[in-house]
Amino acid sequence: MSSPDSKPFFLWRHLNKLRWLSLSIVFLMLILIPFLHLYQTYIAAHAYDLLYPSEKVIYDSMETLTAPFISDPENDLDLLKGTTWSGRLFGLDLSDPLALAGQIAASGKLLWPFVLTALIPIGLTLLLGRFFCGWICPASFLYELNTTLGAWLRNIGLHTGQRRMSRKFKYLVLFVGLLLSPLLGSVAVAAIYPPAIVGREIYYAIALGGFGVGAVFFAATLLFDLLVARRGFCRYLCPGGALYSLLGKFRLLRIQRVVEDCNDCAKCNAVCEFGLDPLRDGFGMECNNCTACIAVCPTDALVFKVTPKDQPDRGPGHLGRQYRRAHNENAEDEHEP
Amino acid sequence: MNRRKVIKRLALGVASLSAAGIPYGLSRLLAPDRLTTSKIHYLRPPGALSDATAFNEACIGCGLCGEVCPPKCILFSDREGGSRLNTPFIDPAKKGCILCGKCMEVCPTDALTEVDRKDIKMGIAQIDRTACYPWVDRGVCGACVVACPLGEHAIGFDFANMYRPVIKKGCVGCGVCVEVCPHPSLPIRIAERGSSTVVVHQI
Repeated sequence: MSSPDSKPFFLWRHLNKLRWLSLSIVFLMLILIPFLHLYQTYIAAHAYDLLYPSEKVIYDSMETLTAPFISDPENDLDLLKGTTWSGRLFGLDLSDPLALAGQIAASGKLLWPFVLTALIPIGLTLLLGRFFCGWICPASFLYELNTTLGAWLRNIGLHTGQRRMSRKFKYLVLFVGLLLSPLLGSVAVAAIYPPAIVGREIYYAIALGGFGVGAVFFAATLLFDLLVARRGFCRYLCPGGALYSLLGKFRLLRIQRVVEDCNDCAKCNAVCEFGLDPLRDGFGMECNNCTACIAVCPTDALVFKVTPKDQPDRGPGHLGRQYRRAHNENAEDEHEP
Repeated sequence: MNRRKVIKRLALGVASLSAAGIPYGLSRLLAPDRLTTSKIHYLRPPGALSDATAFNEACIGCGLCGEVCPPKCILFSDREGGSRLNTPFIDPAKKGCILCGKCMEVCPTDALTEVDRKDIKMGIAQIDRTACYPWVDRGVCGACVVACPLGEHAIGFDFANMYRPVIKKGCVGCGVCVEVCPHPSLPIRIAERGSSTVVVHQI
């Protein structure tokens, strides 16, 4: 009944909480970094006494926050810069693979220093699939909160959109976006890619005094998710999601169902924000290893496995009623709970 | 039935909207430079690719240059749209560039290429001699000369009159003189290199 790899480590059932922690940390960093930059500019100006009271609050709090770790804030804080689109994480330059694809498409040139910054995310995506969407993406953080809002709205009796479209549409968005880039003379996908938008709009709002046009677009995608399809933008339109899905097609780390432990309760299908079908082994390219289904599974039937391919549909779970009815003639599992 | 009709109309609306984009795309394809070159001179951060189209294509809009800028002089065109969307620029009337070079160093895509401080070519300053206070004998000033990060290579005083500023060959167009100029009409402007026209900064 219980397979050997069902509980590999002690945090097993709490991976989803860990994921929320990771999403919140990334989001808080995106808010913190502009404030750190403001702090740096105040230091560079050498005029503490001329700051406004509100600016002094920023200066003092950031000084308190960073003083234990760094000695020269004006230069040392440069080690932590940017957004998930392209940034510097403790001195390590990282870029979104979509930024690389968009830039190559727009300028037609391969810039090796830039390619190097995208190598680590590409490698991780090849191994882990769409993990960025579930574990890091700052837009995902807001979209999942948006989904929660949608659930509340349904609880009070309002309708939210539950439409289904073709998942392939996002590949069209990706390729049209890349093809249009040289035509439009800019990296077109950067303007419609939510994590890039969220990162830069937070910076604009905090450091430059106001949201840009991207905030309007992002608000529209939130409404789209609420009124048309749950997590619709990520599932059907996001060009980055499309690229990650393509890169993660043969990912090694996959959530798989242990058919012997499954009792067909279908909670996994209900909780899956991407509308996948864990109940019948339908994970595919879109699964972003978010582990929400693992957290909700009452019988620990969903586990991580290292395999380059999904297993085929293995039918009804062995603890479920359907399976037992079909195998009742054997009458072996009568004592099962 | 009704829902299907609504979906059909929505699809039609999206289709017609995207069809409206086709002439724009075609015009960009036929004359890619026509739309980007306007009379407004966009003062780019130092080290920026000189060709405006090449710069817009190389820039991914990550905002890193702005985030490392110590005087926070790098702003982003966030509301005008077009191919310049989210690309950096400097408004010297608000803040000039201090030529520290951090933005060139941090740019991941070489849209800002690292160059030596004196080889930066952002533009060249022009002084309106009919407005500048010392040039019209309305007093002594010299704020621009004092503030210039490149010093005597870029700006100096006129030989005949100690307080009349003149731009020299070494000027790279950082815009600090524009920022510090006390005259309300901003007699100093940053012109594109090689063009002698009087320029207007955006916004």
